[in-house]
Formats: sequence, C-alpha cells, structure tokens
Amino acid sequence: MDNREQYLQMFFDESAEYLQQLNENVLLLEENPDDEEIINAVFRAAHSVKGMSATMGYERLTDLTHRIENILAKVRNKELQINEHIIDTLFSGLDYIKTLLDDIRANGEEVTDVSTYLRKLEEILENGGVIQEPVGADRKAKAGQQDFNAMLTLTEEEKEEIYNKMTGDESVYNIKVILAQDCLLKNVRGYMILKKAQELGYLAKSNPDQREIEDEDFGDSIYIKLVSSLKEKQINQEFADIIDVAEVIIHKEDKQAKVVKEIEKEEKKIQVDNNKKLREGLSNIQVSPTVRVDIKKLDNLMNMVGELLINKTRLEGLNIQSDVYQDIIQQLDRVTQDLHHIVMQIRMVPIGGIFNRFPRMVRDLSKELNKEIDLVIEGADTELDRSLIDELGDPLMHILRNSIDHGIETPEVRKEKGKSPAGTILLRAYQKGSEIIIEVEDDGAGIDTDRVVEKAIQKGVITADDARQMEERDKLNLIFQPGFSTSEEVTDISGRGVGMDVVRNVVEALDGQVFVESELDVGTRFTISLPLTLAITQALMVVINNEVYAIPLSSISETLLISPDEIMQVRGQDVILLRENTIPLVEAARQLNLPVEYGKYKEYEEIPVVIIKSAERLVGLIVDELLNQQEIVIKSLGKYLINIKNISGATIVGDGDVALILDVRNIA
Amino acid sequence: MSKRVLVVDDAAFMRMMIKNILIDGGYEIVGEAETGRDAIELYKELKPDLVTMDITMPEMDGIDAVKEILEFDKDAKIIMCSAMGQQAMVIDAIQAGAKDFVVKPFKPDRVLAAVNKLFNE
Repeated sequence: MDNREQYLQMFFDESAEYLQQLNENVLLLEENPDDEEIINAVFRAAHSVKGMSATMGYERLTDLTHRIENILAKVRNKELQINEHIIDTLFSGLDYIKTLLDDIRANGEEVTDVSTYLRKLEEILENGGVIQEPVGADRKAKAGQQDFNAMLTLTEEEKEEIYNKMTGDESVYNIKVILAQDCLLKNVRGYMILKKAQELGYLAKSNPDQREIEDEDFGDSIYIKLVSSLKEKQINQEFADIIDVAEVIIHKEDKQAKVVKEIEKEEKKIQVDNNKKLREGLSNIQVSPTVRVDIKKLDNLMNMVGELLINKTRLEGLNIQSDVYQDIIQQLDRVTQDLHHIVMQIRMVPIGGIFNRFPRMVRDLSKELNKEIDLVIEGADTELDRSLIDELGDPLMHILRNSIDHGIETPEVRKEKGKSPAGTILLRAYQKGSEIIIEVEDDGAGIDTDRVVEKAIQKGVITADDARQMEERDKLNLIFQPGFSTSEEVTDISGRGVGMDVVRNVVEALDGQVFVESELDVGTRFTISLPLTLAITQALMVVINNEVYAIPLSSISETLLISPDEIMQVRGQDVILLRENTIPLVEAARQLNLPVEYGKYKEYEEIPVVIIKSAERLVGLIVDELLNQQEIVIKSLGKYLINIKNISGATIVGDGDVALILDVRNIA
Repeated sequence: MSKRVLVVDDAAFMRMMIKNILIDGGYEIVGEAETGRDAIELYKELKPDLVTMDITMPEMDGIDAVKEILEFDKDAKIIMCSAMGQQAMVIDAIQAGAKDFVVKPFKPDRVLAAVNKLFNE
C-alpha cells in the first residue's frame, strides 16, 4: 500500500488517543459501574481501535479489541455485571493493546502472544451466564440441492393464506439465494434479502426465518417462498444484484392460483434488539475541530520564525535615523512578536495529556501495595511546549512512583500517626511568568534526611566528613545523586536502579530545574520548573573577554554594578553582601577557562555583576560589560559540542555574529 | 461529472481510508463529518449524491443521522460503514432506509462495488 506510512502514523496517533480514553473511562467505570454513557464510551473507543487494527491487518489487536467489545456489549445489555475482576481484566487488556502497539512500532508486527488473555476474556463471557452460540454451521444447507419442498414446507393454514390471497397475475416462486463464502455480516445481508423479497411481493415463508437470520443462525443459503406478480427473470436479477449474493436459484410453482382476497401486505414488525435506546445518550468526549500536523513542520516553522527574528534584530542594529525606518521597525517588531507567540501557542498542548495517564497507574500501584491513595490533579489544562510534554512523562511517573511507594504510608501506619487512612497525592501544574511549574505533593512520611545521609555515605556518594558540613537542604538534595536509592529493598515499583538523578537529568536537559522540599510525617513536595518553550527566549547579552555571550533571563535574578570596595572575603572566597544575603562572586571568564589575570576585575571602578539563581542559590557572576536584553533564538551546538561545560547553545545576534549561550546552572 | 460524496466517521483514519478508496474509484469527496449531527448539517448544505455513514459516533450515532437525513431527503443514498459485531445496528439502519453497507476493514473493490451499484440502478 502506497499510503501505508501515512496510515501507520495516523493509526499510531489515533490508537494512542483511544487507548488513553479507554484507560480513563474504564477507571470511571470502576467507580460508576452502571453508567451507560461510560460503558458506551469504552465500547466506542474499543470499537474504533478494532476498526483501525483490522484495516491495518493486525489480527491480534483486532481479536483482542473485538472481545473486549463483546464484554462491554454484555455489560451494556445487562447480561454481565461489572465487578472488580472484570475491571482488572479490562485493564490488563488495555495493557495488551499497548504492548501490541509497541510491538508494531518496534518490529512492524505483533509479537506478544495474547491467546492466554483471550481465553480469560472468553471465560468472563461464559461466566456471565451467556453462551456464545456457534454460528449454525450444522444447519448449513446442502448446496446444489433444490430441496425446496423440504425447506419450505407449509402448514395447511399457511397454504390457505397464500393461495387464497393470490391475485390472478401473481405466481408463487420458490427461491434459493446463496451467499458468497466470504460474505461479511451475513445476518445483515440476509436481512437485506428478506427486505428485498418484501419489496418484490408477498414473502410467504423463508427458511431460515427472520429471527434466525438476524441471529446469524444459518448457513450460506436462504430459501424464500415469494408471491409476486413480477417475472421470474426480474426477480432473479433483483436478488442477484444484492452484493455478496453468489447465486440465485428460482423456481416458479405451476399451481394456478385463485383470487380470493386482496393481499394485505402486512409489513412484519421487525424485532431489533433494544440496544438502540442505550446507544442514544452518547458521549462526553467532545471532538473539537483540529488539524493534525507533523511536528516536524512545526519545528520548521519555529525555525523560520527564529530566522525572521534574527534578521529583525539585525535590522534594528542598523539604527538608521529615519521616521520611515523607525515605523517599519516598530511594525516588524510587533508582527514578529505576534508570530512568535502564535507559533509557540500552536506547539502548546495541555499537560493533561500526560497527567491523564497517572490515575490508572496510581490505582494499580496503590492496590498492589495495599495503600489508599487519592490522586488530585490540578491545572491539567496548563499548556506546555509539545516537545517538553513528551519528555516529562517518565520523570513525573518516577516521582509519583516514589511518592506512592516511599511517601504514602499504609492505612494502619497513617492511623497511628493520626492521619486519615487515605493518603493524598496532589499533582498540580501552573504557569508562573515564563515558566511552567509542576508540583507533586504528598502527605506521606516525608524524607528522613538522616537516613538519606546514612545511605549516601554507605553508597559512597559522600563521606562522613562531607555530611557534617552539609546543610539540611543539601542533604535532601542527595537523593538526586547518581546511584542513590533510599528504599531498603529494591521494590518492583520504584528504586529499580534508575533514581531521582535520572529525573534531574531529564528536567535539566529541558532547561528546567527540580527541587524537593520535605518535612517528616507531613509530606514531600517535588517541584519541577520548566521554561515555556525551548526555542526562543529572552536573554541578557554580556561581554566577557571581548566576546558577546547570552545569559537566559530565566536564570537571572538581577544585575548590579558594584565597586571593588564592596567585595569582601569569606574563607578566601570573594563575596558581596546584598540585602543581607552573602553572595559568592565568580568570574565568568574563569568559569569558561578563558585566560584572564587573576583578580584583575578588582582594578575596575565599576564591576558589572549578574546575579544568577539556581535551585534557590544565588551567585554573582562577574562579567566585563552588560549590553542589552533581547530575544534570542536558541540553536543547538550540534551533537559533537553538546557536552561543553557551561555553554548550552548558540544564537545569532544583530550584527550576524554568533554568541554563545551561557549555561549558568553549573556555575551557581 | 463525478458523483459527490459526504464521508462520515469519527475516526480520521477511517475517513482517510474510505476517501482514498472513493477518490481512486472516481468519486469526489465534498465533505467530511465526525458526528451524526455534523453529517446532517453538511448533508443539507452540500446535497451530496452519496453518504458513507459510520455507526458509532459521538453526539449522534449513524442510525439516527440516517433517519434525519432521509426525513430531509427521502431519496438520499446512504451506505453504512460497519464493523463486525454491529449487525443489529446495521439492520436498524437498513430498516431506516440506508441503501447498503460495507464492512470494516474496507476492501476497495467491495466498497466500490456497493457504491457503484447504487448509481447503476
């Protein structure tokens, strides 16, 4: 298939969405087992996944979703009562769907064997007290035999009914309609055939009858006794025209009919199962009109806007004394800013996308650990750059796992401590200035810093000497050190070797920061702060050793001009006193390994200092000159230069020169 | 002039599938709807020659949409797009006046056979 790639992409995207919906709704179903809307929503989502999978030819997925759908159908028809076992089975079914999707993504085919699970589903279906009737293969009529008499035996009453009602120009036809072997939805096709017969004349009898047809309780053939004024050939044609009809055999009965009564073509009341009502009160899933765009196109667009911004800055740099020029510059400034804003917004997606995965995980874990946990989510509509969202899932998951595993105590312990038996984990996101803050807060046991230190020493992360000099906050931060895990035994849930250091690495790679606060027996709060977007940011331009550098404003607290006599020394370290805070001073040039004469800056009359902040710590960075504040487009240095210390990227400034962007996190 | 088709399905994937099949078969897609309600609106606006109608959709399902469309235009040609397991609903739809049905996964020749047949009559 030419479009396979295209289909596949869409298939993955949409199935992921449906899977998410399924997870959310099954969770809701657990709480509201009788809510028809939810049942329908689950049914629909499973159904959609089934349809897509079948189209793509993924049989296991199709089979799996089909059976999940069957269960839901039984629930909907009140033939099956939702219980914990069913919910659990449904959840593991969703996991299988995910696994199969992952298989396809990784290997291009379904690898995981789901047959055991399918049997489990089958058991539920049977235990629900409903027997899956086999498609009436045994009833399959012997093809080729036109045993109309046997198949269409009439009772005396029926005979009378027919022959008395017939008018002069009508004849009785015995018809055998044979369906194609690969006919899909045989019962619907069969129904269409009966409907066609009713249109052509009076349907005296059919074998199978309508009921059996609708229940798909028949083989490949339908026998019909039809009273009609139409010609044999025409009737033949009408039936043969129906799709999936392989063959029509028609015999006209010779009997001369007598006219007695006008035929009352009584439309049979068709009994269709009363699903319909249930199907009506549909959906709370609102589909807003959207356009799906390849994220790469958005990246390109962002780059273009970046280029535009650079050129605008260059244009500004010309500084021509002309009203027209000033006017154009102003206009351009406004337009580019709007454009930037819009592009950023396009790339923004609600963080709910990842938050929504967590209720399910929290449910599963707390069950496993016999803990009671309420997960409260706030600010799920907070928007964040798409590229950040993708990266954030795992770190958040890890923090949550930690909170559940180590943070929240068991109900018994909680009661002893005088807390409510159910712990609460608050997952909150909000925007603060140009940053997005994500907090994970629990009311659990808190982190015991003594134990942290003990463990850190034991693991060789620090020495006992180090520990004595450490402040409480630094002790807490030890959990972010590589190779650290506070759990006594490595459980399956958290502490599987990848620790909080991974969380910190991911967050910092996104230009963000992660903090932890904790109080024993009160709780723990992890705070992740992230820039709104990665690509364009406001920066302060400074000169260091005759080169221009950019410092992202997000990491700057303030700038100062100090005189040398304000500098004091504490333990050999230059510091200044700023509003009663002692702030260490470091030379930017020295941090960058540039050749500078030691202490040279003290000879200047005024020393420009940029106060940078990192994890609540302030450091004064001494530069040679403060230039201006401007928007910069962050360009990566490429993979070979990515590990250069204290430089996070580069940007192009007004005059076309390249300026390096300082990564101040390690300096502070 | 090629026949004008309105494609109704809540899954973009399915719409794309059926669109490609129909376009290859020489049909013109004049509109797409994601819900039964949208389908009715679009039908009234576009007066297409044919509608392909999914059954399970949010807001209003395909069967109710078929009924409303036929109320508006009794000659409307509607083909139901069904999956295995929706027999009862397809029967509902046929009873309501849908002309035919195709079964997901769509096979191009089957879809086109069903569609072409409607216009040969």
